Amino acid sequence: MAEMWISMGPQHPMTHGLWTLKVKVDGETVVDTEPDLGYIHRGVEKICEARDFTQITTYCDRLCYASANTWSHSYIYAAEDLLEVEVPERAEYIRLMAIEIQRIASHLMWLGAYGPDIGNLSVMVWCLREREMMMDLLQELGGSRMHYNFPRVGGVKRDLPHGFAQRARAKLKLFLNRIQEYEALFDESTVFLVRSQGVGYAKPEEMVNHGVTGPNLRAGGVNYDIRWAHPYSVYSELDWEPPVERSSIKGADCYDRYRVRVEEMRVSASLALQALDKMPGGADTHHEPGDPMILAKAPARAPEGTTGAHHFEDSRGESMFYIAGGGESRGKQPYRVSIRSPIFITIPFAAKCMIGYKVADIPAIMGSFDPCIGETDR
Amino acid sequence: MGKIVPIKTQRAEADKLAAAISEIDGVEAEVAERVSGTNPRPVVLGNSSPESWRTLAEKLHSEHGVDYCSMVTGVHWPEGDEDKKWEIVYHLMRTGIRNPPIEDGLVQPVIVDPSTVRGSGTPLELELHVYLPETRTPSVDSVQDIWVGADWNEKETWDLVGIDFDGHQGMRRVLQPHETPKGFHPLQKQHHLRYHDFQDMYDDSQGFMRKPADAGKIK
Repeated sequence: MAEMWISMGPQHPMTHGLWTLKVKVDGETVVDTEPDLGYIHRGVEKICEARDFTQITTYCDRLCYASANTWSHSYIYAAEDLLEVEVPERAEYIRLMAIEIQRIASHLMWLGAYGPDIGNLSVMVWCLREREMMMDLLQELGGSRMHYNFPRVGGVKRDLPHGFAQRARAKLKLFLNRIQEYEALFDESTVFLVRSQGVGYAKPEEMVNHGVTGPNLRAGGVNYDIRWAHPYSVYSELDWEPPVERSSIKGADCYDRYRVRVEEMRVSASLALQALDKMPGGADTHHEPGDPMILAKAPARAPEGTTGAHHFEDSRGESMFYIAGGGESRGKQPYRVSIRSPIFITIPFAAKCMIGYKVADIPAIMGSFDPCIGETDR
Repeated sequence: MGKIVPIKTQRAEADKLAAAISEIDGVEAEVAERVSGTNPRPVVLGNSSPESWRTLAEKLHSEHGVDYCSMVTGVHWPEGDEDKKWEIVYHLMRTGIRNPPIEDGLVQPVIVDPSTVRGSGTPLELELHVYLPETRTPSVDSVQDIWVGADWNEKETWDLVGIDFDGHQGMRRVLQPHETPKGFHPLQKQHHLRYHDFQDMYDDSQGFMRKPADAGKIK
């Protein structure tokens, strides 16, 4: 049969955003793919060069619309490395809790979007129900619904509001019970199993060489996690293990990637609960904004020739910021901000994973890698 | 208590790696300390001449187990020293990941205990800088075939900063439109951010007639 190229996207349910996947098909079989990105390239890196270190946080929030908090924290850690700020311990606990709640919200958004991808529409409503609880919690912290602008260079914007700890504990415990409902919805759905098992195999060594990390990598049966390999924050103080999936002999398939994310939500909820319990000063106390318990003084200027970098375990893999500071008469602004987006690197790999499968498997494979185009195009 | 990689182990491994790669001609490396929040962490910080970069990359991958390319960053320094007008920063990592073993037809997941990692399994972080002298066509050897993860990173660096990679297969625009004029790379420093008057948005919603509000004021 003759081969031909088909453009999937930029408007296609498979894309989870705005990009084009060019697929070369032979009948029903995919023989070649080529991703085409950049539809929502906003030039964040260039904009950052004309902003103060504090102003950049808002732009980093907007890098990913499903996981804003992890991205602004990713930037803040790099900026603190550049400006040499020591963060108060209480602020680290508050951050850790905020990051893990955001990770749950991000995975729920993914799970909710992945269901309709492969013929399970009802699960979306169920996932968004619990995501709403997580967003309420983050809204209490940051003040807005999606883009929280919560961390500051040297700490956090605000302490936990009065009564937050009680509400957070209740919601997280309720959420831990409700995870079983998604598992029932997915694992007992024959349609889901048939479409997700046995497609999109990927092996760990191959994934590392291609730069794929995070849950996608852990689905392949290795427990590599930036949170223990290059530790930051106070993960060393809490009791946790990154979830790992027993993949099949051919590697991790879409079903493994789904399982590992569900397990990761459990771990994140437990981490957030532990952080509430172990917080120095107690989770029920409240400090005014700017209190040295939650915000350390930070210099506004970076000296000439200094750099800051930080690797961060984002919801989708390793995100990273590299900031070159200073430069001629512009110490208040960075000279160059470089952003590593995990999905920018993962999309070419996911596109390679599809080769050999049917056209109908494309949404199942692509969706299982959790693409987010906001961070990809920057 | 959660287990993390002990900083002592990481530090010792970083020292070893830095000493080993310093022996290559044109490469200098040392161990620096970066701080994330409250945790200090060791980073192998190195400089390489553009000629020895390819040798260094091959050695890192084959002899020292550096298996992961995190990010490639290009920086334009028009006001820098004569031989440091362009900079390429490679962030590499050693993850120590192996495919999980198969026993009795079942995959046995590899659960590394971070507190007991030793030798070449220790996760490490590398930051390598390559400087290029004043030129209109900066270029450095590609490492696309060593770490496939560097493939799209290099494409992006050429697209946005204009640093070319010798031997890179399939170089193309990835973030900017395909019809972007040849030679336009927005992160070069001769391009300044420009601001528009907000009224322009209403008169000309598509922006075809728009002139920057600061037209004529900047170089």
